[in-house]
Amino acid sequence: MRKVALLFLLGLALAQGRLEAGLYGAPGGVTPALEAAFALGEGEVYLKGQVGRGALGYLGSLSLGPLGYLAYGAQGEVGEGGLGGALFLEGGAGPLAAEGRLGYRPQGAFPLFPEAGFFGRLALRYRATPREVWGVEAAGNTPSRPATFGLQPGLYGVWRLEGSYAFRQEATYTLGLGVSSGPYALLGFKGEVGEEGEVLDLLLRLGGVNRLEAGLYLGEASLHLTLSYPWAGSLGVWLGDLGLEAGHQGSPYAWVRYTWRWP
Amino acid sequence: MSVRRSPFWILALGLMGLTLAQSVAEILELVEKNLASPWQAVVQGQVQGPSGTENLQARVYALPKENLYRIEFLKPGSLEGNFTVVTEKEVWNYLYLTNQLIISPKEKAQVQGLGFSPQGLGDLKALSERVSLRLAGEERLPEGPAWRLVGQAKEGQGFARLELYILKADPRPLRFLFLDEAGKVLADLKVVEFKRASLTPSQLKRYPKDAQVVRR
Repeated sequence: MRKVALLFLLGLALAQGRLEAGLYGAPGGVTPALEAAFALGEGEVYLKGQVGRGALGYLGSLSLGPLGYLAYGAQGEVGEGGLGGALFLEGGAGPLAAEGRLGYRPQGAFPLFPEAGFFGRLALRYRATPREVWGVEAAGNTPSRPATFGLQPGLYGVWRLEGSYAFRQEATYTLGLGVSSGPYALLGFKGEVGEEGEVLDLLLRLGGVNRLEAGLYLGEASLHLTLSYPWAGSLGVWLGDLGLEAGHQGSPYAWVRYTWRWP
Repeated sequence: MSVRRSPFWILALGLMGLTLAQSVAEILELVEKNLASPWQAVVQGQVQGPSGTENLQARVYALPKENLYRIEFLKPGSLEGNFTVVTEKEVWNYLYLTNQLIISPKEKAQVQGLGFSPQGLGDLKALSERVSLRLAGEERLPEGPAWRLVGQAKEGQGFARLELYILKADPRPLRFLFLDEAGKVLADLKVVEFKRASLTPSQLKRYPKDAQVVRR
């Protein structure tokens, strides 16, 4: 039995994988957080855990070459307050793209399990012409950006529905309308701003949701800012595989993480 | 009147036979030598997509010595902005709509049932390893006389048969015709606007700095 376990562990260590180790500090104390992922078939198995909560999940993928890519996954959780879980779907094929997640956990735990209760998001986009994209998004109690953007405080506990229209003319401009506690407008800009192809991405919501999200991508390094009213915000930096983030949501926090990848 | 088989005729026939028997390997070698310096071209034609026949237009950039190829899609509109980079060991697919760069090892990147893969377009040698080609004569194309190579694809290529036209005067591919088992055309692609170009590896590997990189 021990031999089998050892062989299993050896197999995992030899498989392509990554390990992300982090420290999260808030007024309550410092929490270590670990996430490990190993390639398995067309996807990966991952384990993540911190004091009070842990999860085991699988992320699968299907590549359609230049036509598109789909990723899907599921995770099960154990921890304080009881069991939890989430389902993921993300991808695009030809002119259609979708992103969705749906989950529940009785109690949140920062930084790896930030949502508490039910959370979900479904975003659909349709490329009507090469330069125009229509989008619709319904989201509740969860951030809208990928995990590299950080914890993105200010959207937990907020439900919203929005529609958008984006057009590309050198840069991409986005216009949209949404409803949350009240109606709001959406304005976006994304384009290259430097000679080396540095990208600036700005998204502003004003009205029922008041929020600015900004990303500056310099290549190896990237900067991420979120700022919401009622006041909450974060500033994150990625320097290669080192992530630094500081923010405020009710109280200040800081999160440092590093990712190792192999082979 | 019967033609007497004089030694002269036999020699002439023999020489013709030799010319015709110019092997596929030799032709591919001529192409490889001719295309050893950086070049670019536009590939255009019809492709059998999931939703019927679609017009395809793509710009191909090649650095053959570095084993590096880039294919930028211009048509169909839903693929505009997408590109594929083929390196020695990997295939990168950039998807404009989701802003993702999917990086796969070459052996994993073969996608079945999609008609054809664009990798072979820029890398003839790699293509010939997946298709057993033979010389099936010559044909006059608008660009000039061309060799016609035909062959059966090895299993799992997404197509069953390939016809390939190579310009004789300047040995390079002019037309690719991919067919399925029933002889239906999966893709008919012509190479136009061919030119030598000064290209660098970093130009060919360029992708948006905000793209989400996914390794699979």
